[in-house]
Amino acid sequence: MNTDDLIRSLSRDVPRVPRGALGRRIALGMVAGALVTALLVAGVLGIRPDLHAAMHGFSFWMKWIYTASLGVGSVMAVLRLARPNPQSLRGLWWLSVPVLLLAGIGIGELAYTPSRDWLAMWLGASWKVCPWLVLTLAMPIFIGLLWSFRRLAPTRLREAGAVAGLAAGAWAATIYCLHCPEVSAIFVLTWYSLGILLAAGIGALLGPKLMRW
Amino acid sequence: MQASEAQLKAWMIAGLEGDSAAHEVLLRALVPLLTSFYRRRMRDADSDVEDLVQETLISVHGKRATYDRDRPFTAWLYAIARYRLIDHVRRRRLSVPIEDVETILMTEGFEEALSARMDVDALLSTLSPKQARAIRETQVEGLSIAEAAEKAGLGESDVKVSVHRGLKALAARLRGERP
Repeated sequence: MNTDDLIRSLSRDVPRVPRGALGRRIALGMVAGALVTALLVAGVLGIRPDLHAAMHGFSFWMKWIYTASLGVGSVMAVLRLARPNPQSLRGLWWLSVPVLLLAGIGIGELAYTPSRDWLAMWLGASWKVCPWLVLTLAMPIFIGLLWSFRRLAPTRLREAGAVAGLAAGAWAATIYCLHCPEVSAIFVLTWYSLGILLAAGIGALLGPKLMRW
Repeated sequence: MQASEAQLKAWMIAGLEGDSAAHEVLLRALVPLLTSFYRRRMRDADSDVEDLVQETLISVHGKRATYDRDRPFTAWLYAIARYRLIDHVRRRRLSVPIEDVETILMTEGFEEALSARMDVDALLSTLSPKQARAIRETQVEGLSIAEAAEKAGLGESDVKVSVHRGLKALAARLRGERP
């Protein structure tokens, strides 16, 4: 095809692109995925029966704020890496703030707990399944993001895959909080974070293959 | 005559608002820019150059939504053009004549090349805007001195001096000296 004909045929289809179209596309993919995750949590795992009471307590909000702030930070990185010429990612250091805060709370908890109870507090009742559940629940959101990225133009595919995985993991963990009854900061810091990092790692592996355009 | 950044950006934004005539003018204006961009990097392969230009036009059209109206158009355009080149090289496993460090980085690993570009951006931001622009256009985007001068509306010797002084300042900074 000669270039003139190509330009003519491309110019036949020029829909308006509103400002914020990129953000909307990403939001759409994530919300669709998050709905699936929420259905899985509600339908398969079950919402914790004491959710109402838990919402008046500290540890529920500690967990939620931790995972949601990681989610917000990583979505900002996703928004940047969705463009071919990303702005600086130096803002990503911000993601370490919730981790450090939670670690501080964890140290405080340990100080107030007799050391013979430390192991039980760290492992909780669900350390074996927690990371895997977070990882599994991240998949629908990650798939939603892959759908979003089909119209976007990442050029750093490994980084884009990693932050998409991170965002999916963090939001999956946020939704998983509705089920998980664990209360200790060091539990969340270890096992939630592990699940979220696994999701980011898988994203980094898959990004170069699945996000090419 | 090549269109200026401001002109290209205006057409792009009009296209995003749904003006298909402006979009068509934009795509036409990109053809010479992209042709010279690829020809500089792929000597002896004119048919590949035409393929690449067409693929890039399709990407520019298909990925319109990723352009941020508040940022320079040409930076967005060349980021897409580079990605298309890397993808092209990878798919065809072509041997590309090595011309400059950037090309070496691109064939060996585009991520490194891109992060090198981020470093370049960070370094350039320490110079005066005029020097930074002169260096970016002649050393990174691959324009000739004459093209860069015409784009900026300056004399050629002015651009040459800016490039020279800017590179000297950067070299001093990399050696750890204060300017």
